Amino acid sequence: MSATTDFVAAQKRNRRNTTLLLVLLTALAAAVGYGVGLLVEGESSGALPLFSPVGVAAAALMAVASIGWSAISLAVGDRMVLAMAGAKEIEKADAPQLYNVVEEIAIASGVPMPKVMVLETDALNAFATGNRVGHGTIAVTRGLLDTLDRNELQGVVAHEMAHLANLDTRYMVVVGVTVGLIALVCDMLLRTLNWGGSARNRSRSGDGKSSGGGILIVILIVVAIFAPLAAKAVQFAVSRQREYLADATSVQFTRNPEGLISALGKLAAKAAPFPGVSHATQHLFIVNPVQHFTKDTPALLATHPDIEDRIARLRNLGG
Amino acid sequence: MSFWIFLGILAAIGLWLVSVYNGLVGGRNQAQTAWSQIDVQLKRRHDLIPNLVQVVKDAMGYEQETLTKVIQARNAAVAASGPAQSGPAEAALTQATRGLFALMENYPQLKANENVMQLQEELTATENKIAFARQFYNDSVNSYNTRRQSFPAVLAAPSLGFGPMDLFTMPETEREVPKVALR
Repeated sequence: MSATTDFVAAQKRNRRNTTLLLVLLTALAAAVGYGVGLLVEGESSGALPLFSPVGVAAAALMAVASIGWSAISLAVGDRMVLAMAGAKEIEKADAPQLYNVVEEIAIASGVPMPKVMVLETDALNAFATGNRVGHGTIAVTRGLLDTLDRNELQGVVAHEMAHLANLDTRYMVVVGVTVGLIALVCDMLLRTLNWGGSARNRSRSGDGKSSGGGILIVILIVVAIFAPLAAKAVQFAVSRQREYLADATSVQFTRNPEGLISALGKLAAKAAPFPGVSHATQHLFIVNPVQHFTKDTPALLATHPDIEDRIARLRNLGG
Repeated sequence: MSFWIFLGILAAIGLWLVSVYNGLVGGRNQAQTAWSQIDVQLKRRHDLIPNLVQVVKDAMGYEQETLTKVIQARNAAVAASGPAQSGPAEAALTQATRGLFALMENYPQLKANENVMQLQEELTATENKIAFARQFYNDSVNSYNTRRQSFPAVLAAPSLGFGPMDLFTMPETEREVPKVALR
């Protein structure tokens, strides 16, 4: 029973962290929007006011755009991901054990039975997509099916089911869209500054009107350069949190940490990159399919926590 | 003035009652759905076991006693009704099947048989589903019971007709799902 309370606590912590990170991202997007608005207003009036109504409007626009973009991504995103990775839906007769294991975990989690798909590659990996409850898909690679035993497969499937149950795929779509938006607007901001800078030089030689804007411009340039990087770091942090949460939830479903621990051990030894996945979808997989992780990978730039660390945490949960 | 305050308090109490009621209905329905899933999986097991016995009968001619025990346990489990009866009956059935699986280890030709392998996988999956359905049922009942015993709800739950639900407890012997080597 004590183990169960540990999962609940771990899940609560993780949800709180994720919410915090999402708030941070939205604030960042709004700040960038404000910066652009400020600049546009400064250009038209010739001075840079600290409070800018145009900036507030632009910040609101950023929030609205991020919500709209997210909605579109949520509507069509998972079908695109599956097509890109080349996943094929299977029937029970094609892989009875996999199908049974997914059914078992669907019962354990109380999540409606997702579609089951197989990726024809020797690499060991698995992923889940689905943005609404009851419309999920769990895909595993052929290599995984051939390598793992039943308990290990159960641990991996439960990890993916946990992503569906916690709606991680939705979280990550929203985070990804916000990060993309920030990168786009910061790029725009830098271009505007470039253009505005030369325009200001011309106007200054005329009447020397804008003098107090210099420091603000520098601050804006620094923000425009570092905001996309910070957003990326936050995105990866969210991704890592969700992986820990999915590991913990997986054990809550199976009540058997050994299966997932042993599976992660095999995945660590044989994680190979495979075609059809890109940086855009890497966070969906149980282990990162693009980069090969070692202890030396900078933690800030990783979508997934170090496998050793995940195994260590699972051992703590089981004990 | 005081009339409006009175009306506001009344509306707040009404909204609160609605949310407590809906929460309790949701929790109870989840538990009941989980319960029916247990039933479905138990039936599935009752259907699978005669097939397995049929397939292994010829190869395991010397183990008639074990096979008869499995079938008897299966028939007793089918005949049992209600959690009080079927709990022990299902436990006995698990025990008997586990014995059969253990004996089957001695027959390499059976372990290589496509049909047997398939049936064994189905039975393992069904055992797991029974265990997981129970686990989910008990988790659902736990959270339902906690919800109805928690402070504001405890005042309203009995008068709204939400009684406590029972956990599905199983005899000690059935705690462990049989380990079937399929590698």
